Amino acid sequence: MNKLVLLVALPLITAFLLPVINRVSAFAGRWSGPLILLISSVLGISLWSQLGDSAVAVQLGGFRPPLGITLYADQMAILFAVAASLGTLLLWPNGGEDPVRQSTLALILAASGSGLALSGDLFNIYVFYELVAVVSYGLIAAKATSGSYAATVRYLVVSSFGAAMALTGIALVYQATGTLNLAQLAQLAPTHLNTVQGLAAFVLMLIGFGVKAELFPVNTWVPEVYATAPARISGLLAGVVSKLALLIIVRLLVLVFHQPEALTVMLVLGIIGVVSGELAAWRARDFKRMLAFSSIGQLGIMFIAFAIPGKAGIFAGLAVALHHLVVKPALFLLAERWSGSLSSLAGAAKASPLAAALFILLALSLIGVPPLPGFWAKLLVLLELSQQAQPLYYLGAFVILAAAALEANYLFRVASRFYHPEIGQPTAATHRMPELARASLLTVGLAASVFALTPLAEQIEGIAAQAADAAHYIQTVNPETQP
Amino acid sequence: MDTGLILYTAAFGLILIGSAGIVLSTHLVRTIFGIALLEAGANLLLLLATYRDGSSAPIIVDGRVPAAMADPVPQALVLTAIVIGVGILALALSLALRVQRAYGTLDLREVRQRLEQDIADDAGIDLPSSSDAPQALLTRKGSQA
Repeated sequence: MNKLVLLVALPLITAFLLPVINRVSAFAGRWSGPLILLISSVLGISLWSQLGDSAVAVQLGGFRPPLGITLYADQMAILFAVAASLGTLLLWPNGGEDPVRQSTLALILAASGSGLALSGDLFNIYVFYELVAVVSYGLIAAKATSGSYAATVRYLVVSSFGAAMALTGIALVYQATGTLNLAQLAQLAPTHLNTVQGLAAFVLMLIGFGVKAELFPVNTWVPEVYATAPARISGLLAGVVSKLALLIIVRLLVLVFHQPEALTVMLVLGIIGVVSGELAAWRARDFKRMLAFSSIGQLGIMFIAFAIPGKAGIFAGLAVALHHLVVKPALFLLAERWSGSLSSLAGAAKASPLAAALFILLALSLIGVPPLPGFWAKLLVLLELSQQAQPLYYLGAFVILAAAALEANYLFRVASRFYHPEIGQPTAATHRMPELARASLLTVGLAASVFALTPLAEQIEGIAAQAADAAHYIQTVNPETQP
Repeated sequence: MDTGLILYTAAFGLILIGSAGIVLSTHLVRTIFGIALLEAGANLLLLLATYRDGSSAPIIVDGRVPAAMADPVPQALVLTAIVIGVGILALALSLALRVQRAYGTLDLREVRQRLEQDIADDAGIDLPSSSDAPQALLTRKGSQA
């Protein structure tokens, strides 16, 4: 099971060797990055099939659980580790001034993303999270325009604030328990962290990790960054990195923080996120910022879903998250050539009919039109919300429904503009082949999942059941503990 | 007053001052200093997590075990956190330099205004005029164009 370590180590080593490799052979420098990511994706998928319903924990260096560094892999962790590798491979940065440096950063992003998903230790999570942040600053600023520098520095300020908040939360946890190993924390949490201090630690970490997950008060960077960064990087941040941050929060909720107030905080912030994000997207007048704001809204729905206690919440949340993981990168890939204002997109369907058709399919799924997967994901969230006794959950359900109406309004407005007869000169450009091919691949995957809905839902339910089982986690990491 | 209390006050004070600096400051370099202060506070808090008055390093010398030993784990963690913090500080300052070269200012309100303008220009839409937009900036922008 030491192959697990390779998921993190392989891209990391290659990243630092890349400048050397490139000096020897430019061809090898260009292709070794994607090749390594392909290998680690295959590795991850083979681990997934080996694992089945069980989970494994690897103690790095052979130190016993509370002392050493733990990597924990259940289905959810491997799923997101593979998503990090595969997502980076698919959205491999192209163009820009210095391809080698960008490749290096992309490899580190894949490595630290996998590390974030697999890590079983709070401090390692913090380190990997900072690594993801630093790497993404470099990738965002890759366009080297004045706007991209300004957006990056403003993002850096918010992100550093969040990281310091998370570190403060970690300090509070360590103060109360004396450990940062998640399995040991799970054992100590009922007696040591069921306090105001524990709740404060959770809120601090929620704000900290919420920066990447586009949580309401710390998401000011989202529209600026997605409007100025390369389209592929926007897709990567909105699609993959945000889900990794969400995964951390879910892990913390399952294992460490059991206070009902913690869920309420998340629910309220999620509701505000949906309302503010969707309203802003409705008002947006350019394609990229519309997508950015709609991404805030979608992440808000995930926060609402994960605020449902127990396995049901994780099931519903995972369904929405996986759907968004596929749809948003595809939309950003299409956005690369539609960066202009929405009114300049009139007649775009004539210039690139395939792109317009893909957009409409993705938009329909995003809104939640049956039988597309987005509908089932949203239906699941609404059904689970309606089972809850608290009125706040009904508010969540209402907000999600209202948001769907808003989404339909602004996405159809764009779609109708595509088929509008052009006035004057056509301004929308045709899409480049690589972007179109990647977007098609994602869309075909999305459409194909319609035919495998039942097995897919059972699979996701299995993942959720495993992820929601804290005793299973403790037992796997530390087999000597008494159940 | 015991040392622990003073140190805790200092840690939370630094966190408060740093956060206030980030939120309230309009100058980019001061905001970056706010981040540095905030990180210092968080690091101090992490160190204090297992602070015990009068404890010594957990090293056994000549077979004698010290009466009170400090937990070495937070010290190792803080070392990592400090290194990360210094790296980010350097990155932030170099980015601030780039922003200064691009926009000729480090005032965050102006930077934000120019950034909005850049994004709007890029998309080919005109910026919605807002009542709280600094008038001086708008006219200067006009004279440059």
